[in-house]
Amino acid sequence: MRGKYLLGLLVILGALAYMLFGGLGRNLVYFLTPSEYLQEEARYQNRPVRLGGLVKEGTVQYDKDRLELRFVLTDGVAEVPVLHRGTPPGMFKEGQGVVVEGRFQEGLFQGTNLLVKHSEAYQAPKEGWTPEEVRKLIEEAR
Amino acid sequence: MTPALLGSLGVSLTLAFSLLGLTLSLLAYLQGDGRFLKGARALVPLTLFGALAAFLALEWALLTHDFSLAYVARNHSVKDPLWVTLVTPWAALEGSILLWGLLQTLYTFLASRKPLGQPQRGYLDPWRASLVLAVLFGIQVFFFGVMATIASPFETLPNPPTDGVGPNPLLQNHWMMAVHPVLMYLGFVGLSVPYAYAVAAMATRRYQTWVEETRWWTLIAWGFLTAGKVAGMWWSYEVLGWGGYWAWDPVENASFLPWLLATAFLHTAIVQQTRGAFKAWNFAFVTLAFSATVLGTFLTRSGIIQSVHAFAEGPVGPAFLGFFLLSTALGLGLLSRVSREVRDVAVFHPFSREGALLLGAFFFAGWALVVVLGTFYPLLVEAFTGAKVSVGAPFFNQVSAPIGAGILLLMGVGPLLPWRRPRREVFKNLYLLLAALVLGTLLGLLRGYTLGASLAVGLFLYNTLAVGLLFAEGMRARRLAGLSPWSFLENRRRVGSLLVHFAVALMGLGIAFSQTYRLEVEKTLYQGQAWEVAGVRMAFQGVRALDEGRRFAVEALLSTDRFGEVRPRLHFYPQMQSPLPAPRVVYTPGNDYYFLLMDFDREKGEWASLRLIVTPMVFWMWVAGVLMALGTLYILWPASRPEEAKGVSPA
Repeated sequence: MRGKYLLGLLVILGALAYMLFGGLGRNLVYFLTPSEYLQEEARYQNRPVRLGGLVKEGTVQYDKDRLELRFVLTDGVAEVPVLHRGTPPGMFKEGQGVVVEGRFQEGLFQGTNLLVKHSEAYQAPKEGWTPEEVRKLIEEAR
Repeated sequence: MTPALLGSLGVSLTLAFSLLGLTLSLLAYLQGDGRFLKGARALVPLTLFGALAAFLALEWALLTHDFSLAYVARNHSVKDPLWVTLVTPWAALEGSILLWGLLQTLYTFLASRKPLGQPQRGYLDPWRASLVLAVLFGIQVFFFGVMATIASPFETLPNPPTDGVGPNPLLQNHWMMAVHPVLMYLGFVGLSVPYAYAVAAMATRRYQTWVEETRWWTLIAWGFLTAGKVAGMWWSYEVLGWGGYWAWDPVENASFLPWLLATAFLHTAIVQQTRGAFKAWNFAFVTLAFSATVLGTFLTRSGIIQSVHAFAEGPVGPAFLGFFLLSTALGLGLLSRVSREVRDVAVFHPFSREGALLLGAFFFAGWALVVVLGTFYPLLVEAFTGAKVSVGAPFFNQVSAPIGAGILLLMGVGPLLPWRRPRREVFKNLYLLLAALVLGTLLGLLRGYTLGASLAVGLFLYNTLAVGLLFAEGMRARRLAGLSPWSFLENRRRVGSLLVHFAVALMGLGIAFSQTYRLEVEKTLYQGQAWEVAGVRMAFQGVRALDEGRRFAVEALLSTDRFGEVRPRLHFYPQMQSPLPAPRVVYTPGNDYYFLLMDFDREKGEWASLRLIVTPMVFWMWVAGVLMALGTLYILWPASRPEEAKGVSPA
């Protein structure tokens, strides 16, 4: 009887360990700002990432016939070019806080999902954004 | 009398009566005095009455546009249509808690109707009755205490506005929102009764009868949870405009947990009813299932985890966390105290009905564990490394697929296996089932499906055959006993559960196919332009704007060759900056065609960006959901049974 329980326990623990070290680790989606990405570029290549920042003024190009949206995402220090396929969401505009889900491929962030973050409380600071402020903005404005 | 006054009075009185009832029922238990119990029972209708008064007060305030109430000002607008106004009580946190509290008093009322008397004759003895009432009153104290302090639906504003913003547009975009939350709460609250009975059973050391006594309640709760989940999936599919029904969102996960644990409990409870075994498992599962309902609310309302349901955040997080810990500790603490006495002495064969049931319950509980880990993992990572992460849907899909397949496998053999140990004649059926499984999988592979989808076909055939075999067997047994074979239909529990099992197999097939094959295309069309894709030809005729009072709608006119005119829409609500898509879904037996208007020419209406999502078999998932509800209803339906056919063994 005892052996049976032990076996069951081992199976459960084994499955848990597999999940934690195998499945979970591979499927974690990191939430980054452009600065954090540029510090460890190699680490985030070709794996799912959520990139948060502001849409840089004057960089938005949308081609409605090819459904290609290009813009530069910035956190005030670092910048990342983004390519998103599909219609921009209703509130998407320059200077807006956004989170893009996607992957880094060939120097470009290829977005699959674009979320606009909206917050009433935040006004653009005069002296420009810092990564900390961007992170705070994105986190608070969910 | 104002709504605010009536409401506050109702909440305070219910809280006071519940506190008094808790005290009296505890006294009744401790003193062994029936007069206290009588008093406690007399208070139950009063709490129901108070809660009902409070709920009606909120409806009254909404219907009369009483914006002096903060809740009304935040969630109501004079422009709301009547049905939206009527369902606004559960559009935000405080009202939802009030609805929950009201349903709790209703269930307490129904549960307290059970006559007292000798347990041998099927009555509830006064000791357990006192404790059951004490637990249910305790739960009421929590909910009405929360409403009386930190989340009052009847808080008033000093300067009431003349009009409010109305409820979250996502909620008023589909009538399903009137149904889904109520079904979920009916399910959540339903679990409180078996939990209360379990606590009473452990405290009074009468471990056996509570399972049978609460069978009805567990099934009711399970049925409502299932219906609520399917309704939520349907809403997500038809309203949210992303073409999916399940996103592994923390709140979906949180309400999935009680369902998983209740399902586990439902199955191990059968073993205790028929064989008297698995007592400890039943106590554990029912405790966890009940506390999972509270944990779900904590997750949803505390805002610690990002979620699409975050619209109903509030200050109640810590209170629900505390209540979760308390209810878990009460159940598991009592269990550890009596663990020596409820241990299973009989050795059971793993290849028997009870073995399959326990293994199935482990699968459900293991699934719950995986979901909990995945949901809380981001919190752990953030606490230890400071990195912000989220666990993607691929993780959940990856671990859920094998667990789901395991459950589908067990579901087929379990009911065919006899109790205690396998008999020889069973093996014939098992080989048949195995053949169906292999045949179906090969058939799928030959048709070029992926391995997962082929396996789903095999498992569906296998389960359908298993249900067919069990039906045939039941009818044969009736005939051999000299009865009409159709009298098997009177074995409601058997027939209903087989129907549910078939529906689960169908649901599994639908999930496998809709997750594996999905086509998503998007294109900008100019007026008059046609587009042929995925077997549909559509021509864009232009856009048209409609003013619907509370919202502004823009619809694209598409003439298609197969479905006539299709009009996907965008809804513009004044309280939202971005429009909400209102997809048009055309269901066919094979594929669903999901039309979305993404964007349009705001100046001349000459072009529109359209998205088409084609997903197979989602229609059958909704059919499966209805069948599950019908199966549960069939079991619960009060039958005229002068004497239950006890002589005929259930298969």
